Parts: sequence; C-alpha cells; structure tokens
Amino acid sequence: MASGDADPIITVSKLRKVFNPDIVAVDDVSFSVTRGQIFGFLGPNGAGKTTTIRMLATLLQPSGGTMRIDGLDPVTDAAAVRRMIGYGAQDIGVDGDLTARENLRLMATFYHLPKREAIARTEELLTAVDLQQAADRPAMTYSGGMRRRLDLACALVPRPKVLFLDEPTTGLDPQNRTHMWDYVRGLNESGTTIFLTTQYMEEADKLAHQLCIIDMGRIVAEGTPKELKAAIGADVIQLRLPHEGLTEGRVALRAALAAVAGISDMSDYDEGVAVYAKDGPGKVAAIVRALDDAKIGFDGLNLSAPSLDDVFVKHTGRTLRVESVKPTGRTPWGGPRGPKRR
Amino acid sequence: MTVSEFLSETIGISHRWLLKTFRRPAFVFFALFQPIIWFLLFTQSFRAIADIPNFEQVTGTDNYLTFFSGAVVIQTVLTSSMQSGMGFVTDIETGYLDKMQVAPISRASILMGKLLADGVRIVIQTCVILVLAVALGVRFGSGPLGILVLLMLALAFGIAWAGISVFIALTTKDSEATLMIGVITTFPLLFLSTAVMPKELLPDVVQRIAVVNPISYIADALHALIITGLDWGLVARALVVILLVGFVSLGATTLLFRRAVTR
Ligand SMILES: Nc1ncnc2c1ncn2[C@@H]1O[C@H](COP(=O)(O)OP(=O)(O)OP(=O)(O)O)[C@@H](O)[C@H]1O
Ligand SMILES: [Mg+2]
Repeated sequence: MASGDADPIITVSKLRKVFNPDIVAVDDVSFSVTRGQIFGFLGPNGAGKTTTIRMLATLLQPSGGTMRIDGLDPVTDAAAVRRMIGYGAQDIGVDGDLTARENLRLMATFYHLPKREAIARTEELLTAVDLQQAADRPAMTYSGGMRRRLDLACALVPRPKVLFLDEPTTGLDPQNRTHMWDYVRGLNESGTTIFLTTQYMEEADKLAHQLCIIDMGRIVAEGTPKELKAAIGADVIQLRLPHEGLTEGRVALRAALAAVAGISDMSDYDEGVAVYAKDGPGKVAAIVRALDDAKIGFDGLNLSAPSLDDVFVKHTGRTLRVESVKPTGRTPWGGPRGPKRR
Repeated sequence: MTVSEFLSETIGISHRWLLKTFRRPAFVFFALFQPIIWFLLFTQSFRAIADIPNFEQVTGTDNYLTFFSGAVVIQTVLTSSMQSGMGFVTDIETGYLDKMQVAPISRASILMGKLLADGVRIVIQTCVILVLAVALGVRFGSGPLGILVLLMLALAFGIAWAGISVFIALTTKDSEATLMIGVITTFPLLFLSTAVMPKELLPDVVQRIAVVNPISYIADALHALIITGLDWGLVARALVVILLVGFVSLGATTLLFRRAVTR
C-alpha cells in the first residue's frame, strides 16, 4: 500500500492487545502515519479503535508488537511521548465542576507552561474553539458540542505534534460535526499530524488523507479513501431482502443473477446482497428482470458509486452504517463491553 | 522532572479538588454541618455519662462537652478521609484520570494533590469544631501551641487514613463500595477505641481491642490536648501510629497506583 512512503511520524507493527484472559481487542495491527497528514481509523463498535489509540497515547501496555511516535516508544519513553502528543478521549474527560477557563489553566499547569504563557494560551484556545462567552461557566452546563470543543482545546494546550482524537464527532448534530471537521482541518493545515478514529464513513472519506479500516481487532483494508473505493472497481447495487428467510433469499438471489452478464462480484451483507458491476445504471434493468423472472421479491434497491461502506461490506460482509447514536459508556479499567472471544 | 514542577502539579491538582469541593453546596453543607450534627448527637444522647461517679477521675474533666470535643474531631476526620477515594472513582469514570495520565506529570502528584486537598478540608472542619466547642463553653487545657499540635495531628491522621480509602477506591473502582467498606471498617474501630469513652469505662474485651486500635492513640493525644494539656509523650505515640498507618496505606496505594496506571 501507499502508506509509509513519505516521512512516517507513527509506525506501528504487529501491535496486539489481549485483555485477560482471552479477549483479543487488537490483533497484529500494523500501519504507519505520514507526518502532517490526517490519518483515519475507521471501524464499528468494538473494533479495537480505542484500545489502539490508548496504547499509542501511553495509557495502556500492549501485549505485543512495537510502536514508535517520532522515533520514541510509548512504552519505554512514555514521558517524552506525553510531551508531544495531545489526546481527546472518546468520553470527553473535562471536569464538569470547573469552568472552561479553569480546565484549560489546569492543563497548562500539567504541561508546565509559565504563568504568562498559560494565560495567553488559555485565551487563545478559548477563542479558537468559540467558548469565550461560556468560559466562566462550569463545564457541566455545556452542551455536548461545547464539551467536545473544550476537550479539543484541552488536548491542544501543549501544541502537540501529534493529536489523537477518539471519535471526536460521535453524538454531535450535523452542524456541530461540520464545525469539528473545520477545526480538525485547520489544525492539520497548521502542521499537526492527526490520528482520528471514527465510525462514520462519511467523516473518514471527507477528512482522512490516509485510512485504515479495522474490524474485530484486525486491519481489513488500508489506503487513501479514493484508492479504497477505486479498488472496488465497480458500481454497487445493494439489494435489500425481506428479513424472514434472508439466508435462503440470498441463495436464490445469487442463483437468479448468476446468468446476468456484466456482474463482476456479489457479496452478502447483513440486509441482503451487494452486487458489483462496471456499468451499474446499465445493469439495473437486467437485474430487476432476472429477479422478476425468478419471482424473487426484494425490499429495496440502491445504486451508488462505491462508498467506504461498500469497501467495508466487501471486506467484512457487514455494513458500517451507524443507525442511531450509540451510548458512550466507558469501562477503561473495568469490565468488557460485549467482548470478542476466540 | 524538577521539584518545582512537582510542586506546581501537586498544588494545581489540590486546587482543582478544593474548587470542586467548595463549588458543590451539598459538599460544603456536609463538610461544615456534619461536625455540628455529631456534636449535638454525642453531647445530647451521652449527656448522662458525666454523671458516672468516676467520670472526672478518668477523663480529667467534669464537663461532657469537653470530653466529647476530641471524639467529634476524630469522628469528623475519619468520616472526611473515608470519602477521599471516591474522587478517584469519579475521575476513572469520567476519564479525567486519563487526561492527567496523558500529561507529562508525575504519578505521585496525582495522589499527593488529592491528599493535600483532603488535608485542607480536614483542617477547616477541625477548626469549625474547635470554634463550636469554644462557643459551647469548652475551655482548652493546652494553649495556642496545643491547638496547633491538635490541628497537625488531625491533618496527618486524616491523610494517613485517606490513603486507605484511596486504596479501596483503586481496587474496587466503585464509589459505593469505597464508601461502604470505609464505613464498615471505620465505625466499629471508632467505637472500639478510647475516642468516645474513657478506657476505664470500656468493658474488658473492648479495652483489649482498644489497646491495639490505632484510633485510640490518636484519641488519647487529642483528649489530652483538649482536657489536660500538651503531653508530648502522648503526641509522640500518636505520631508514631500515624506514621505506621500512613506508611502502610500510602505505600500500598502508591504501588497500586503505579500498577493501575501502567497496567
Ligand atoms: N478493559 C477492558 N477489559 C476487557 N475487554 C476490553 C477492555 N477494553 C476494551 N475491551 C474489549 O476490546 C474490544 C475492543 O474495544 P475498543 O474499545 O477498542 O473498541 P472501539 O473500536 O473503540 O469501539 P467503540 O466504537 O465502541 O468505541 C471490545 O471487544 C471490548 O469489549
Ligand atoms: Mg472506542
């Protein structure tokens, strides 16, 4: 793949994390992040995104493999790594009892900024994330979007070389999401390398220069969003089948379409079958006719140029679509959430 | 890491905890009115104790208020330090502990900052008790130096005891469990000590327990400071006990904290 060509700032090789005794959260993951880019880590719930980011951010010991951030090892050079990274956690760790200004001042203390600089940096960041108006209110009175912005500002206090953002837009409305994207792009343009995880393919598509798709602890695809979509090499026709008898429906559908010329591939996904064809629009009529002849009913047909969702479907057989906003309960030191066992 | 960095981190973290404490009205209420409630409870329901024939002989005062001032101080210090660990559980749950750990700060300052804030809270609460006691007519047997020594003992004992709570918190990661285990272990110890009843008036079995109960040693020193006067022998014994408790509780907590932090 194309990653790792240029000057890599993060390299990860055969990274593993096994939670006791046998929950494999991250399974031999290798990738590299080019300096100055936005790197996206796209995957569904439980894929291992947070676990990976926590190992890079010095919060979790890996069970195996190596990591380097700008030449330093987060395990053995944790202190030096901490000085050059910023971390925005999935669950927003701002202190709700403190105001935005107090939260930021405390961060400045943690990074040992001299008092004058701490004050200047605080005001600068409050302006950057549009929180001057609310700066003296306890953060627990903030909206979700405001808390996210404050958390981002906290992560930016040390002017990090590498910024880790774990699902920075989960739970935000579309308008706030677009704002967050603008902040992230702006930061990246001013030179910060950004490692971002997301469950939203649209976000990965729009923001990331380079992308890894992760599922069940393994990287299933990597490349630029464009490369990944181009690799499908065809339009995608998703045929949604009735829920009852889905398995038989799929078999019948595949049989019915076997004879249709120009179909390059078919793959099952959780709601039906995805059909790949070079000239999608030109094939729809033939497909519908074939299904009609075979008396196979379907609930929906969706024709599109390939999206990252199709990339995901192609590699995992499931769609990535996030139906509803998921609860963000965390268990950093505690019990597992729906562990994957092997 | 330099000493000045360590100090500024610790002070920053303490400042955070104090802001949090005093910004929660319920907390302030608890912290300040709890001593008052204990005072009223102890003194009203145990009033008759002063009528026991040799009460004055064994306590050194004929005033039950004077005797119970020391008990209320201990009671408050214990209750206050028992809650110390709960802050860590919240920080684990909200992810604030992660935020601190991602920053290039010393792990020790995270612990010290919290304990320092608890210490300040305990000193303030003890002052409230002393003022209240004076207002109720208690005359201290020791002078200003004695009061100072009393505050230092309360502070040191509070921090040492808070270490136990933090240890439970980091082990269980559960705030209810932290509080419950704290209450279940601390209250019996309190009533099996010389804090609320002079040793001579305790049943034989309890006396034997009281002798090995660390709380008794703190209680003896505090009672003396309030009732009879500054007794350096008792103060020294209390300090040794505090150092022992602190060494065990803070040592174990530090180890656990290191491990929990790096895993
Ligand atoms: N502390 C832990 N103990 C045991 N298992 C854990 C722990 N943390 C995570 N896991 C498990 O590891 C797997 C990966 O979890 P992780 O949080 O990395 O996923 P994620 O990609 O961030 O998912 P999400 O989108 O839900 O945040 C999950 O199966 C999870 O249950
Ligand atoms: Mg996650």
